Amino acid sequence: MSTAAVGDPLVDLLLESLTRRKATGQVVQPGDAGRAAARWMADAGVARAVLAGDPLVDRIGLADALRREGIDVLTWPTGLGKRESMGLEGPIDVCGVTVPARAVAERGTVVLEASAGHGRGLDVTSRHHVALLPADRIVRTLGEALALTYADGRAAPSAVSLVSGPSRSSDIEKISTLGAHGALTEHVVIIR
Amino acid sequence: MSTRRRRADGGVAYLDVQGTLRERTVDALRDRTLRGNLDTAATSWGESRDAMREGYGLDDMRERAREIRRSNIRNLPALLAEMQANVREAGGTVVRAADGAEACRYITGLARARGVKVVAKSKSMATEEIKLNEALQDAGIEVVETDLGEWILQLANEHPSHIIAPAVHLNREQVAALFREEAGTDEVPDDREGLVAHARVRLREKFAEAGIGVSGVNLGVASTGTVCVVENEGNARLVTSQPRIHVAVMGMERVVADWDEAAHILQVLPMAAIGQDAANYVNLITGPRREGESDGPEEFHLVIIDGGRGALRGTEFEEALSCIRCGACLYSCPMWRSVGGQAYGSPYSGPIGAVITPLLEGPSSPASRDLPFMSSLCGACGEACPVGIPLQDLLVRARARSSSPATRASGLAFRAWSRLWRRPGTYRAWMAGWRLMLRARGKDGWATDLPGPGAGWTQVRDMPTKWPPRR
Amino acid sequence: MRTCLSDAVAPSVWKASKRVLERCGVTVKVPRAQTCCSQPAWTAGHPDQARAVARHTIKVFSGPEEVVVPSGSCAGMVVHAYPEMFRGQPEEEAAIDLARRTIELTQFLAKHDLDPGPGAPGPVTLHDSCHMLRVLDESRSPREALAKGGCEVREMQHTDRCCGFGGVFSINFPELSGRLGEEKARAAVESGAREVVSCDLGCLMHIVGVAHREGIPLRARHVAEVLDR
Repeated sequence: MSTAAVGDPLVDLLLESLTRRKATGQVVQPGDAGRAAARWMADAGVARAVLAGDPLVDRIGLADALRREGIDVLTWPTGLGKRESMGLEGPIDVCGVTVPARAVAERGTVVLEASAGHGRGLDVTSRHHVALLPADRIVRTLGEALALTYADGRAAPSAVSLVSGPSRSSDIEKISTLGAHGALTEHVVIIR
Repeated sequence: MSTRRRRADGGVAYLDVQGTLRERTVDALRDRTLRGNLDTAATSWGESRDAMREGYGLDDMRERAREIRRSNIRNLPALLAEMQANVREAGGTVVRAADGAEACRYITGLARARGVKVVAKSKSMATEEIKLNEALQDAGIEVVETDLGEWILQLANEHPSHIIAPAVHLNREQVAALFREEAGTDEVPDDREGLVAHARVRLREKFAEAGIGVSGVNLGVASTGTVCVVENEGNARLVTSQPRIHVAVMGMERVVADWDEAAHILQVLPMAAIGQDAANYVNLITGPRREGESDGPEEFHLVIIDGGRGALRGTEFEEALSCIRCGACLYSCPMWRSVGGQAYGSPYSGPIGAVITPLLEGPSSPASRDLPFMSSLCGACGEACPVGIPLQDLLVRARARSSSPATRASGLAFRAWSRLWRRPGTYRAWMAGWRLMLRARGKDGWATDLPGPGAGWTQVRDMPTKWPPRR
Repeated sequence: MRTCLSDAVAPSVWKASKRVLERCGVTVKVPRAQTCCSQPAWTAGHPDQARAVARHTIKVFSGPEEVVVPSGSCAGMVVHAYPEMFRGQPEEEAAIDLARRTIELTQFLAKHDLDPGPGAPGPVTLHDSCHMLRVLDESRSPREALAKGGCEVREMQHTDRCCGFGGVFSINFPELSGRLGEEKARAAVESGAREVVSCDLGCLMHIVGVAHREGIPLRARHVAEVLDR
């Protein structure tokens, strides 16, 4: 089983694949992660961030970093009504912040698992998507990722989303256009 | 296209298939916009596919994919039983529907029982096959297609022309006009990005409203009771996560044994379908939301459809069940590329549609009479198929199985033919007669008007009566 | 194997094939009693009628020689379909044996490394028939044979696209067939060559028949005729 270690080609492969999928990525140290993610969101014009209820989010101090950038912070579960969480009411420039369970370097895919702290719609109902990914969660192939996700003895998650780049549609004149339904952007902050 | 019908209440109509297949192909050949769009799509697919073969070893992957799917079909009853048990254990409900009518009754009944007024759908060929939209609408329930291409078609009251890119036959101007009509305003952008953004907002309103989300299933994984829904837009994510109830409709043959097999098929699928190594979203759903989760459906219903599929196991058509509905055969087919999917008059078009529609509709159906014959048997489909289905051979078998006045007449003609051509003496006599006829009909080395079945030839081309042909 | 199409429209093709082979020092027998490989009946969905005629063909070519066919389509029919056609039938072994010994003309030349000497200089464009390409999995041998003969080949676009002949398809769906034929004829002309050649007579008759009807200036010959001086 190949997983990422410090200075690992898997990180490079993932970054390359992300670019191919029209997503972006950056590599940061744990101490800089919160600031880097908040900075990216500020630059993208994010008005509100919805954070996964995951211990990693707290560890990197993301909520504070966001507030310093003047970005409104909510944590999952948000308690928002359906229309607001779909972006039909309230601010439009919402960013869902996810913590992938793992990532597939070959394909530029992040693997999101639904749980009590991690809403299954976090990335797709928002306009923007930031994923906080510890580098040791990167595997090379889809087969490896799925074997880990559905390993024997582990209860299958209710929903697993393999996300490979921002939403695309090629329904009009068969030319790929971004953003028919899901997030218009995807930025992966690789932490190691 | 000449095949439209509006319902009085403005809902989606299932089009009465008009005219014969041949007439529909003639109509389609006259449509320049259609030809242009289809050719653009097919050519760009071909280029992407070649890149996949070179860069990713698609040919080797096909071999393994073929073996996996054949073993799935051999073990189908056991796999389905395992799938069912695991879905139930995860808190879902499973219904095995013998046919489309039973499936529609269940889903409509569920919607009524839960007081659902709006159903949001993501792309599903199986729901087209069973005419689910019509059944729901007859029960007074609004159905909204949320896949951008399907929504466009719903507005246009048309059938899809391709499994993966259903509105590929329409262009930007046509789409803008449809959006203006739907929104009741002229304030609709006409650039591509603007159109997509407009659709995004209109469809989110529906997601917020819908009480049931209906999706198809690309692949069921028996070992965990998981349904895989593959897409590029994100609407299936929303359909399967936002409404309170998720109904997944699956053809019974769409199941693999475990995650090793699923990983392989999930990789081959986008490579064959869109010439890329990954689709944007692959949604893996196992039952409803778990306790403590704050989003996701509270109910999960898996409707497994037989509809004639089970009967194909053990027959000469069994390999057709390997199909993963990627659409590669459509893009590779010179017929589909020339006339588009709507001419087929079936939810399943292209070579796979020409094989399975007759099988699902019966040997005396119009589909059986016509579809398998609309092929030059060039074999591009079998070559393109990522699970190695020998579609061109299945087409020949489908022709043999077809039963209609036309095929019976053809049978009689060929009986006469075989009597003459199995003996050298009568064969030579026939040839002498034919050559005489050609010489008589020929002028300057060409015949422009042949009798009998030859009339089909000379309708669009001349017959050289001397060889090498004269100028 | 002469092929019924050559008998019906272009006896010059099988005669040229015989000469080409003899120039290579091959002893050629052309059984007078032969008729047809039965592809029209098989592909039209009448397997019993096909078998009746194919049985005669199996008898005529009962061997042991290699059976050379100036047609990718007919060769492909015997090689690919005869085993299936006679599965479980008394002639099954004989059918498999014939399938093993049957080979298309240019494949035969390549296999035995034969050179018939200089042929026509060209330039020509080569149409790969679908059966050559996909049933016999062959695109090299015709090009090799033409190159050896000193014939210049100018490749057209989309050589892997069907010309639209397809046997009975050409009569059942004439408009669709004709449209594909027209596309192929125009592609042939755009290659810069004035003549289209192929290992398959059916395709050629169709392409050049459409070209003549539509006023597209295009000549045609079978590969055997180009190799034959």
